[in-house]
Amino acid sequence: MKINAPFVEKILTAFIKEELGKFGFKKGIIGLSGGLDSAVCASLAARALGSKNVIGLMMPYGEGFGPDLNDARAVARQLKIDARLIDIAPMVDAYFIRNPTRDLLLKGNKMARERMSILYDWSARERALILGTSNKTELLVGYGTIHGDLACAINPLGDLYKTQVRALAVHLGIPESLRAKAPSAGLWAGQTDEGELGLSYTELDEILKHLVDGRESPEEVIARKFPKTQVKKIAGLIRNSEFKRQMPPIAKISPRTIGHDFLYPYDWDK
Amino acid sequence: MKIALAQIAPTLGNIATNLDLHLDLIEKARRAKADILVFPELSLTGYKLRDLVERAALNPQTSKTFKKLREAGRDLDMVVGFVEEKPQERGQFYNSAAFLHKGSILHIHRKVFLPNSGMFEELRFFAQGRNIRAFDSPWGRSGMLICRDFLHLNANYLLFADGAEISITISAAPGRGVAGEKGFATSRMWELIGETVARLTTSVVIYCNRVGFEDGAAFAGGSFIFDPYGHKVAQAPYFDPAFLLAEIDLGDIRKARKAMTFKRDDKPEVTLANMERIVRSYED
Repeated sequence: MKINAPFVEKILTAFIKEELGKFGFKKGIIGLSGGLDSAVCASLAARALGSKNVIGLMMPYGEGFGPDLNDARAVARQLKIDARLIDIAPMVDAYFIRNPTRDLLLKGNKMARERMSILYDWSARERALILGTSNKTELLVGYGTIHGDLACAINPLGDLYKTQVRALAVHLGIPESLRAKAPSAGLWAGQTDEGELGLSYTELDEILKHLVDGRESPEEVIARKFPKTQVKKIAGLIRNSEFKRQMPPIAKISPRTIGHDFLYPYDWDK
Repeated sequence: MKIALAQIAPTLGNIATNLDLHLDLIEKARRAKADILVFPELSLTGYKLRDLVERAALNPQTSKTFKKLREAGRDLDMVVGFVEEKPQERGQFYNSAAFLHKGSILHIHRKVFLPNSGMFEELRFFAQGRNIRAFDSPWGRSGMLICRDFLHLNANYLLFADGAEISITISAAPGRGVAGEKGFATSRMWELIGETVARLTTSVVIYCNRVGFEDGAAFAGGSFIFDPYGHKVAQAPYFDPAFLLAEIDLGDIRKARKAMTFKRDDKPEVTLANMERIVRSYED
């Protein structure tokens, strides 16, 4: 799980700068939740692009997110980036008044997509590319809302496990108060990732590292004395979330089809 | 012999932009009085071309891009990487390296070992080269390999058996593994193999890798030169663009081969006889 944090910082800041530059952008925009991942991403962006070229969009739902909003503000202040506040309650409430539900997951997903919608709007207004903040752990277990927080232009954190993001956060000087917070998807008040997943990020990441980086079978990982139920559960989460990591399949009927045999690099001519 | 390595980040699929970059570096190498300038794998086109391969393909004998390189390189040798379409094999595309001497093409190597697993998919888009052979350059008998070729024992052995004293590898090797103290874990692998090949073949080993990102993958840089004793003569930084200049004494090849008689004592006929036996005994 160990990373050489200064080297990782160097790679990721170069990635942000180079990718934005290739597509003619100087500015980056990030949804600042008050959590660790968006703070790390904003810190990398500020180093890569300069503070004045980074916009942090804080999009709480009404009043219930007071402490997180304060943390998001503190990150923006520390990094000297441009922070803007947009309360998503009026838009989200307007929808749910007409389509009521008690399902917190439905509400949370709608909020995540509302934030995505606002981010893309501000991306166009400010000519700023959206930097995604989903880490490798979340991406692998599908812990994100498709077309919500998973949506972005580039993702600097997507190959770092949560525990590695924490190590990078220490190197980047993210305050201890923020690093010590229980990670939360913020779908509802009081939600924590580890509570919902039923195991700690440290355990989760160790298991993922064997399954994914080590290309081991669940049986091989269980043989390393990891709990059988948890390994099976994680393997199932990976398998069942593949749809969140890929473009939707296109039915092939012609000789040449997007995604099948029409294959161009993302960085074409860049 | 003064060697220049161009550790560059080509623009993916834009030959005109890359040609300008090559011409700038040729001028820089000329001013530095380099004898040879080595560019990385697919230096004229970028690496992850996929369906752009056919658009990037050219015939070095007739291409205007090569004409400009040849004109610019009249007083300097160079190695460039490009996508080749031979006139007699139209519709087949090779990942090739050309050695240019005084404006003419002395040798072309077509990548034999196309990586096609994990993050690599070269066999999907390229034809496989069939030959690994040394050639006579103004600096002595030389051989060229492209990236993964260099990681195959037999590729290095064939150049050695064919008399190469200078081994030039051009590369587009992405970096992987960030737990170590310096650079990517994969860079350490290249360096270990570079040193090993230099020692085992008592040859000068030149390795030019690229930098920059393509679709999120970072190329690791860290280009290097080993002398025939396996001592590192020079190394470019990891990950950052660089123009590396280094002087090597070609007289060291003779000295190293007197001291370490691997070449004198080699038995290619033993290799040949046993390889025939081994290959014939293969079963499906």
